[in-house]
Amino acid sequence: MRFRRSMLACLSVLILGAVLCAAGQEQAKVVDSKVSSAGTGTASSSTLGSSKPVQAAAYSRFQGEQRYRANCGRCHMAPHKFPPRMMATIERHMRVRATITNEDMKFIVRYMTE
Amino acid sequence: MPAACGRRPSSSFSFHRRISLLGALLTFLAVPVLHAQEQPDIPKPVPVIIGGAGFITSFDGGQPDLGPLIAPVLLVPIGDRWLIESRTTFEADMSQEPGSSAFHGQVLKSIDYLQLDFIANPYVTVTVGRFLTPFGIFNERLYPIWIRNLQTDPLILPIGTGPSQASTGAMVRGGFPATSKFNINYAVYFSALSTVTLSNVTPLDSDRLVGGRAGIFIPNARLEIGGSFEHLLQDERSNSFGFHGGWQPPALPLEFRGEYQRSARGSGYWIEPAYRLSQVPFWQYAMRRTQLVARMQQYFVGEIPSDSLPPVNTRQFEFGVNYYFRDGLRAVSSYGRQFSELGNKNVWTVGLTYRFAIPLGPGGEN
Repeated sequence: MRFRRSMLACLSVLILGAVLCAAGQEQAKVVDSKVSSAGTGTASSSTLGSSKPVQAAAYSRFQGEQRYRANCGRCHMAPHKFPPRMMATIERHMRVRATITNEDMKFIVRYMTE
Repeated sequence: MPAACGRRPSSSFSFHRRISLLGALLTFLAVPVLHAQEQPDIPKPVPVIIGGAGFITSFDGGQPDLGPLIAPVLLVPIGDRWLIESRTTFEADMSQEPGSSAFHGQVLKSIDYLQLDFIANPYVTVTVGRFLTPFGIFNERLYPIWIRNLQTDPLILPIGTGPSQASTGAMVRGGFPATSKFNINYAVYFSALSTVTLSNVTPLDSDRLVGGRAGIFIPNARLEIGGSFEHLLQDERSNSFGFHGGWQPPALPLEFRGEYQRSARGSGYWIEPAYRLSQVPFWQYAMRRTQLVARMQQYFVGEIPSDSLPPVNTRQFEFGVNYYFRDGLRAVSSYGRQFSELGNKNVWTVGLTYRFAIPLGPGGEN
């Protein structure tokens, strides 16, 4: 009985992990393409509402600022910008500490290092 | 939460522990194999020391107390996915001895946390080591001296976090967008019993427990709500649970935070509104740097006594004024009144807090 329960528990954890990983991989691809294209101005019109580079950059900046204020402001006054490599470390720390989403993190880092 | 006594766990717990550990290990091993993700948009990170420092003078029931404090946080990123982080607190608690006007005290050193984080994928981060117990939001996110609006701890802080406020073991956590409207965040952890003591450092103790926290965050409304649960796997094997919330209305420089927690050792709540005077039409240079804070809290004694919680039912009201000189540097002050069966008393605090960030390498280039 115990062995069956152990096996079931392990199997459940493995399936859950696999599902999370698979979903995470897909989500990461979507986020990467969304953030990259927003920053370089090559996003599709369905994502940004326009394909013009200026509007795409403005969208990226707007999203970055919105997410920066919403996420950082949950706990403290939003700080000034840090140098890019410092910001990358601090954002990784804050991602763990405040469970910031991957998408928010990428927009915030891009905004804070522009 | 009293110090753990080291009672031998029962056989039923061993079974669950084996399952939990095996599951965690399998997940940990499976995740990096199944997922290989590059992060081309993120600059290469550099080791950093960040943290807070301050000098807080408090008058607790008329007894003055000087409290210089510095709490550096060392962050060492490794590769694209790993991070070592540790916070050490150096704090002096200086008070007057009877018959003397001089202040005496000693420097207390504590390793608040020392953890290794592995960002497995956008949904999962695995943490091992000594970490701040993610019960509620105050201990993990609002505790640092440069973040907290009022310098006193909430009365209910030790209910779910224990006296050392840290756990020793493993944790899985993450945050992800559930829909375009809101995000979900979670943390699940297991802590082992620890009675480790380093010389000249506060004991690195922790209780044996399992717990979790989950919440949702609505970015457009800037509203966050969630709940925590914890089960002690030693002593009386009791449960603790709590709820937390935070709201920053986008149209106003106002914020609300609060927590409710309950366990066999006691229960209570705190609510903390804070308002930045940036919309006041006069003296704008000074007003937009000024913040008014209040905190209402109440604690009710539980069935089991605890050394780190008040011995009787207690109510406390606090009002504070903070002034931000510039980013990271501020003056803080507060007045509070505590009501309990042991006698009412005033609690005053005044001081300076500072947030610093120092790169341990070239930080300006990618």
